[in-house]
Amino acid sequence: MTRKTINTSALILLGVVAFGIPLVLRSPTYLHIICLLFFYAYLTTSWNLVGGFAGVLPLGHSAFVGIGAYTSTVLSLQYGVSPWLGMIVGGFLAGIVGILIGLPTFKMRGAYFALATIAFGEGIRVMFENIETLGPLNIRGPRGLEIPPTHTGFVNFMFNTKEPYYYIILVMLIGVIAFTYFISRSKLGYFLNAGGEEPEAAMSLGVNVARAKLIAMAMSSFLTALAGTFYAQFTLYIYPKSVMSLDLSFEIAFIALIGGRGSIAGPILGALLLRPVSDFSRIYFGSSLPGLHLIIFGTVLILVMIFQPRGLQEPLLKVYNKLLDRILQQAPQGKAGHEYS
Amino acid sequence: MNILEINNLVKDFGGLRAVDTLSLSIKEGEILGMIGPNGAGKSTAFNCIAGVYSPTKGDIFFAGKKINGVKPWNLCKGGLARTFQIVKPFRSKSVLYNVMVASFATTDKTAAAEEKALEVLKTLSFEHKKDERAGNLTIAELKRLEVARALATEPKLLLFDEVMAGLRPAEVDEMVQIIKNLRDRGITIFVIEHIMRAIMALSDRIVVIHFGKKIAEGTPQEVASNENVIKAYLGDEYVVS
Amino acid sequence: MEFFLESILNGICMGSIYGLTALGLTVIFGVLKVINFAHGSLIMVSMYVAYWAIIYTGVHPYVALIIVVPVMYFFGYYLQDIVIKPIFKAEKDVREPITVIIVTTGVWYILDNLTLLIFGPQYRGIQNNPLRGKMLDIGNMLISVPKLWGFVTAVITAAAVYWFLQKTRTGRAIRATSLDREAASLMGINQFKIYNIAFGIGTAIVGISAVTLVPFYNIFPSVGVLFDIKGFIIVVLGGLGSIGGAIIGGIIIGLIESIAPMFMTATWAEAIVYGLFLVVLFVKPSGLFGVKYDW
Repeated sequence: MTRKTINTSALILLGVVAFGIPLVLRSPTYLHIICLLFFYAYLTTSWNLVGGFAGVLPLGHSAFVGIGAYTSTVLSLQYGVSPWLGMIVGGFLAGIVGILIGLPTFKMRGAYFALATIAFGEGIRVMFENIETLGPLNIRGPRGLEIPPTHTGFVNFMFNTKEPYYYIILVMLIGVIAFTYFISRSKLGYFLNAGGEEPEAAMSLGVNVARAKLIAMAMSSFLTALAGTFYAQFTLYIYPKSVMSLDLSFEIAFIALIGGRGSIAGPILGALLLRPVSDFSRIYFGSSLPGLHLIIFGTVLILVMIFQPRGLQEPLLKVYNKLLDRILQQAPQGKAGHEYS
Repeated sequence: MNILEINNLVKDFGGLRAVDTLSLSIKEGEILGMIGPNGAGKSTAFNCIAGVYSPTKGDIFFAGKKINGVKPWNLCKGGLARTFQIVKPFRSKSVLYNVMVASFATTDKTAAAEEKALEVLKTLSFEHKKDERAGNLTIAELKRLEVARALATEPKLLLFDEVMAGLRPAEVDEMVQIIKNLRDRGITIFVIEHIMRAIMALSDRIVVIHFGKKIAEGTPQEVASNENVIKAYLGDEYVVS
Repeated sequence: MEFFLESILNGICMGSIYGLTALGLTVIFGVLKVINFAHGSLIMVSMYVAYWAIIYTGVHPYVALIIVVPVMYFFGYYLQDIVIKPIFKAEKDVREPITVIIVTTGVWYILDNLTLLIFGPQYRGIQNNPLRGKMLDIGNMLISVPKLWGFVTAVITAAAVYWFLQKTRTGRAIRATSLDREAASLMGINQFKIYNIAFGIGTAIVGISAVTLVPFYNIFPSVGVLFDIKGFIIVVLGGLGSIGGAIIGGIIIGLIESIAPMFMTATWAEAIVYGLFLVVLFVKPSGLFGVKYDW
C-alpha cells in the first residue's frame, strides 16, 4: 500500500460519505445547514482562483453572487427562462464584469486593489438598492425578488425537499474543486502563482502576469455567479443586502484565508471548520450573546494570521502526513514538493 | 552574425542620464562581459535590453528585430532570458516548481514542462534539491536557481546580472564552469560582473562603462591594460598581474 | 440660493469631520504602509470612551478630549505592539503586507461585537449637552454649531499634526521611517517603536474626531462601519498619506452628501461617492492631491 493509494481511497471514501449523508440525516434543518456549508465552500474555492493563486485580495466577490442570483431570477420570473439557463447567462455576465473590474485594478498594489474591489462591490449593491427597474427588467430595489414556489421540478430548479438541493450543491462543489485542481496543475496555475509571488521574475520568465490574472478573475467571477443562482433557488428570496453585502464578501475571503489561500484544501477546510462554529453559536447564543460568532471569527483570524500565515491547511497536512508515515512505517517519499501547490 | 546590437542607447531618469549613447554588439556564441564601477549604468542598460525599461533614445536589435519597448514576457518567448542581481525566487514553491514556471515558456503541457525542468536541473547538477522549498536555499543555491530558470526558457541569449556576487571562491569557479558549458551548448552570453577574476576568465570580450558611457572595449588583456580603464575603474586597487 | 449656500457650508463642516476621522487613517498608512481596517471600530471605541467620560463627569463635550486622547493613544500604541507587530516581524521582506489588512479586520470584528455584547445594541446620545441641536443663524442660513466646532477642530488638528511631523524630533523620525524603514533603522531609529507611536497618534486623532461627533451623533456598536468605507474613500481621494488631502477629501465627500440630495435621492448620492472613488482610483491612483509616492 502506498501513500498515493491511501490518499485516493480516502478521497473516494469522503465522496461516498458526502453522497450518503442525506440517506442517514433526514432533518431538513441540518441538511439546510450543510447545504449552506457546501455553498460557502464552493464560494471560497472559486474565490481562491484569484485571491489565492493570483496573490491579490479581492473583497468584493459578493457582487458576483448578486449578479448570478439576480440574472437567473429576473430571467425566470419575467421571461420564464429556466434558472439553469439563467445560471449560465449570469455566469458569463459576471465573467465580463470581472474582466472589466480587473483590467484597471490588477495594475494596483495590494491595498489599492482590496479597496477598489470593496468600492466596486458596495457600488453595485447601492445601485441595486436604488433601481426599481433596469430597462425592461424589474429588480424592485431594496425589497428584492421573491420566487413563488409554485412550479417545482428539476427544470425549474425548485424542489419541495432539501435533498435535491443538497446533491446539486455537492456536485457543484466537487466540480469546482476538480476544476481548481486542474488549473493548479496547468500552465495557468503555475503562471498565477509565480506572478502573485514575484511578478517581475515571472514576467522575465515569459509570464504575462496581468493577462493570467484577468483570466483567473473571469473564471472566478463566472463560477461565483453560478452559486448566486443556487442561493436564489435555495432560499427563493433575494435582496441586495442578502446576496451582495460587504459582510458576505469579507466572509468568503476570510474563510479562505484562515483555511489557507492558494491551496486546494485550504478554502474548503476553512468553510468546514468555521461555518459550523458560526452557525451553532448563532443558533444557541444568538439571542443571549449576539455577535459571539464574529468575536470567535475575529480571534481565529488574528491567531491564524500571526501563527500560521499560510492557513490551517499546512499544520493539518503535516499531521496527516505524519499519521500516514506512522501507518506506512517508512520514511516520507513521493512528491513532497507538490503538496504546497 | 550579431545576435544583439545596441545603437546609441540613452536612458534618462528625470534629470539623470543613467545610460549615455551606448553602442555595443554581441556575436552569436560569444561571451561578452560588462564591467564598470557601481552606478555606472550596467543594470539600467540590462533592464533596457530585457524590456523592463523602454529606452529614451536609441535602438536595440535582437536577432535582427528591433525590440525597443517589447514586453519582457514576449522577449523571453523570443529567446532572451535574464537573471536578477537581487534574486527573485518564488519562495514558497519548490525548486522544481520554480523551474517549471520557466519551462512553460516552451510548452503548454505540464508533463513536458516537468520533464524539461528536470533536464535543466540535471545539467546544473541541482537535481537533488528539486523538492526543496526555494525559501530555504542558500545564496549560492538561489543564484543557481536563477540560472536554472533562465536556462529553462530555452534562450538564445542569456543576460547574467551579477550572478556570482556573494559566492565563495570555490562556488565562483563552479559558476564560471557552468557558464562556459552553456556557451558550448550554443547559447550566447552577456554578463555583468564585479568579480574581476571571474569575468577575466570567462569573457571573450569585455566592455567597460563609466557614467553610462562606454570607455573601453576589447579582450580581457586589452581592457586590463587600457589606461582609461585603470584610471576610471580599476584604480590602485587592481594590480595587473 | 441661501438654501444652497447653507447646504454647502454644512457640507464643508460635516466633511471636515469626515476628513478628521480619515486623518488618523492616513497617518497610520503613511508610516506603516498598511490600511487599518479596524479604523471604524477605533472611532466607535473612542465614541464610547467620550460618551462615558462626558456622562460621568458632566463636563462640556470638548473637555473630554483630556481623557479620550491619551486613552486612545495608548489603545492604538498597544494594539500595534501586541497584535500587528508580530505580522511585520514575520513578513520582514514583504513591502506591503496584505496580512495586516486581514488582522485589522479581525480586530474590527472583535471590537464591534464585544461592544455589542457589553453595551447592547441600543442607540445612545448625549441629550443635554451645550452643543446639541444648536444652530447658528447667519442671515437666514442655519449652520449646525457642533459641526462648526468640528470644522475648527479638524483644521487645528491637521495643522498640529503637520507641525509635529515637520518640526519635532519624533516627527522627523516618523517621516524617516515612512520614507525608508531599513535606512531609518540603520540610523538608529527603532522601527517598531515608531510604528507603535504612529499607530498611537493615528488612533488619538481618531479619538479627537470622535469627540467632535458625540455632541450630535448617536452612538451604537456598529457606528464605525459608517465611517469605515468613507474613511478609505477619503484617503484615496486625497492621496494616501497626505494630511491636507485627507481633510480636503473629507470635505469633497461632505459636499456630495449635502448637495446631491437636492437633485436626487440620498441613496444615489452614496452611489456617486463610490463612482467618484473608482474613477479616481483608475485615473489617478495617487489621489487628487497626493504626491506620486513610491511608498
